[in-house]
Amino acid sequence: MTVDDTLEIFRRVLETPDVTPDSDFFDLGGDSLLGTRVLSAVARATGVELSFDDFLLAATPGALAKRVAETVAPA
Amino acid sequence: MRVLIVGAGLAGLTAARRLADAGVEATVLEARDRVGGRTRGIEVAPGAWVDAGAAYLGDRHTELNALIAELDLKTCPTGMVGASRFELGAGETGAAESSTAQNSGAEPGGVGAKPGGVQTGAAETRPGRFPPLNAVALGELFDLLADLTAKVHPEAPWLTPDAAELDATTVAQWVYRNLRHPDARRFFPLFLGEMMAADPADISVLHMAFYLRSGGGLRYLNAFEGGAQQDRVDGGAHQLCERLAADLDVRRGEVVHRIQATDSGVTVSSTGGEQHADAVIVAIPPVLADAIDVDPALPAPRATSRTAPGCAVKVQLVYPEPIWRDHGLSGWSVNANGPLLSTVDDSPSDGTVGVLTGFVTGAEAHRYAALAPSEQRASAVAQAARLFPFLPDPVGFHLTDWVNEPYSRGCYAALFGPGDWMSLGPGLTEPHGRVHWAGTETSTEFFGLMEGAIRSGHRAATEVLAHAPATPSRRS
Repeated sequence: MTVDDTLEIFRRVLETPDVTPDSDFFDLGGDSLLGTRVLSAVARATGVELSFDDFLLAATPGALAKRVAETVAPA
Repeated sequence: MRVLIVGAGLAGLTAARRLADAGVEATVLEARDRVGGRTRGIEVAPGAWVDAGAAYLGDRHTELNALIAELDLKTCPTGMVGASRFELGAGETGAAESSTAQNSGAEPGGVGAKPGGVQTGAAETRPGRFPPLNAVALGELFDLLADLTAKVHPEAPWLTPDAAELDATTVAQWVYRNLRHPDARRFFPLFLGEMMAADPADISVLHMAFYLRSGGGLRYLNAFEGGAQQDRVDGGAHQLCERLAADLDVRRGEVVHRIQATDSGVTVSSTGGEQHADAVIVAIPPVLADAIDVDPALPAPRATSRTAPGCAVKVQLVYPEPIWRDHGLSGWSVNANGPLLSTVDDSPSDGTVGVLTGFVTGAEAHRYAALAPSEQRASAVAQAARLFPFLPDPVGFHLTDWVNEPYSRGCYAALFGPGDWMSLGPGLTEPHGRVHWAGTETSTEFFGLMEGAIRSGHRAATEVLAHAPATPSRRS
């Protein structure tokens, strides 16, 4: 899952095009309910099931893509 | 011109106010000995009031915010600072997830979840409002709800694609077919109870989708800050109706049972006698409106045997102060077992006392409402003590059973059961000659909320004024 993929998910769930790789999900008006929809989209695309706490620690498109990549192929 | 209004809730009184402002002689007939309908205030300490009925609002509730300002009232924010408590009978997944979670530092009371040691039925503490359940499963649930919500026709739900099928299906059937994960199945009824005071078996999928859309969507309806629960009316929402009624002709204790309409006017029969007017606005919930004998007969009923009361019992536990705040807790909890399926800090803004409001919704509301008062009190107090072990015995206990309230017949709003939208929807706002309809259930915008009630009142008043006989003029 690339940063472009997570950007696309953020834009769809938050219903705004104004998302950059460093945008914080919660600063853009996201809340826990919408956050779960990011996680279900990640799970559908990659099979990786992250917890809500994982998401709190990786709440930007850049950090989330990295977190998913680490889970798929642990360093 | 003279207009009678049946019901002195927000819908009826805002309609009456608008008519009176236009120079119409408006008389409001109210069955109870009080005004307010589904808003009601309880004085929990001298000068300190809480909402036993409708309570919350947000920025999108523009008519309500305007009315608050017009009546010289203020709003105050709904407090939601601190950690939440969850008593979800933690399933495997919940326990596994919480065992890896970092507990928030805000738990001086030591009531936090013990890592790896979540027992069935034990309450646990989590930062924020997110429950200790599988996030992906909840995300899939919200995806499904968002898809349904986006699909529904906002002004005419019966014109939604596949409307008949969506309306023939109960939400309970939809859950059975669509929700696989146990955490989604555990969480969903609680979510629906909070949002709509509905049991999944009572409502159609179309009604759920419509309701969520009408209230501004899932996120808006669910949110406190930035959402539909952001603010309260400082001092209680009941003041809205009391202040509106102060300048109006409101007759209390008049139960309307018959409306006769002719070409020249209407005659409304109530326990107080007969009244004549040019038009009538019926501003009461659909099940009660349907019980009025209207002559000539209505082309379609106002409610059916499937139209259910909103299932809400509201419990208020009063403490000397909001002690949970000292323990880093917001007062918010979500619980799989009743009676209190959720709790929220409803302490008056003046700081006089701490009030924990408990919501008993859905099927649990019916069970709880049938208990003896002593059992109701004991079980609510015991649950509050499990959730917040540092709490002393409450100094006050108030219970408001909206399910069995004869002149509301449910709260937050009527629940449209299978088939209801297809049969009732098209006639919901359609005047029957000189008989007009108001009430939050006749507003497709913010249906079931105070905002919907006000919008319906304004719509009905505008209709009546548009049909008003022209002021005598000498133009000819």
